Amino acid sequence: MDSWDHFLLIILAAIAAFIPRYLPMLFFSKREIPEWFNEWMKYVPVSLFTALVVKSLFITTAGYHFAPFAHVNQLIAAVIVIVITYMTRSMALSVILGLVAVFVITMVM
Amino acid sequence: MTLIADSFIGGTFLKREEPNWLMVLKIAMPLCLSYIPIGLACGILLHAAGFNFLLTLLVSIVVFSGGAQFLIASLLTINAPIISIVVTLFFLELRYALLGSSLSRYLKGQSQHFIWLFSVSLNDENYAVNYLKFATDKTWTPKQALMVEHYSLLSWSVANLIGSLIGSALTIDLEIVDFALTALFLYMIVMQIRNRMTLLISLLSGVLAVAFMVWTKSTLGLVLSTLVASFIGFLVEAKIRKGKGRLSDHWLFGKVRGPAVTRKTIEDKKSTES
Repeated sequence: MDSWDHFLLIILAAIAAFIPRYLPMLFFSKREIPEWFNEWMKYVPVSLFTALVVKSLFITTAGYHFAPFAHVNQLIAAVIVIVITYMTRSMALSVILGLVAVFVITMVM
Repeated sequence: MTLIADSFIGGTFLKREEPNWLMVLKIAMPLCLSYIPIGLACGILLHAAGFNFLLTLLVSIVVFSGGAQFLIASLLTINAPIISIVVTLFFLELRYALLGSSLSRYLKGQSQHFIWLFSVSLNDENYAVNYLKFATDKTWTPKQALMVEHYSLLSWSVANLIGSLIGSALTIDLEIVDFALTALFLYMIVMQIRNRMTLLISLLSGVLAVAFMVWTKSTLGLVLSTLVASFIGFLVEAKIRKGKGRLSDHWLFGKVRGPAVTRKTIEDKKSTES
């Protein structure tokens, strides 16, 4: 692929990224949102974030297999992040100490 | 506006108000900082996939999604055709339909132009920050939320650009850097678990995510598990509400000892008032 193909890819990717972000937001910001929909959406963030974490910890990127012990270093670091968040409630501390933890654990193991 | 300093002058307190842009920047700062390592890594990876620095800058602005850009880079290195990259990407980005819908109730009455601007610069992490702010801070405005998005977009694209420029000189362990995102999401989960019900829905979503991703062999599994888990949460809550009336009486909605217990959210206040 040359640069023009890459440019075309970026334009198509931008469209693919734009549609799911824009249309639902446009739709719901102009209408009265039904109560049940709000109640449903209350559980969306926590469900989605858990799914994303599970994907990076337990699913292989090549082939989407379940690999519970493929990233033991990240698993230990994840527990550390949870404890730090619980104790400090600080986003910066959680992320930075999490990165330090995964780096150190990977070096040691 | 919050007060940062009370200076004691001449026997009276003079309250110095912090400018809005600085206050929002302070809120967005942890996010902007956590973008730097990931953005650098993403720039390096895109450079390795054959993007020049202008294309890397462009993709970081118009797509603005770590997951999507990592996906583009890894699919380009295995010479996947454009159309299959775009289709995979579309399924990965479908989750924003859910995020957008869940934020839209805070954006009522905004102009068309604002909605457009807000949705193009929406992504997982700034959504998480804004959702938390909207849910816990009554004074948080859509304008400030948009500002958070723009700060994060700026730090993300600058980090991408620098990564692309130093790309040829450096090799890094991507797996470690990618963990910054995981840590950020873990933080968001812990901060949002307020009762046993949220905890159970979170666990359920995790189990479903594995099942659906292994089944669909794609990130569509993320969307499916989110839809199903949150819908089950909604159904259970509606059923309890019907039978008992007061949610807080049910054991499922008993408080979990967590960081959020010490902090009242708008939803908590509503439930105690009614």
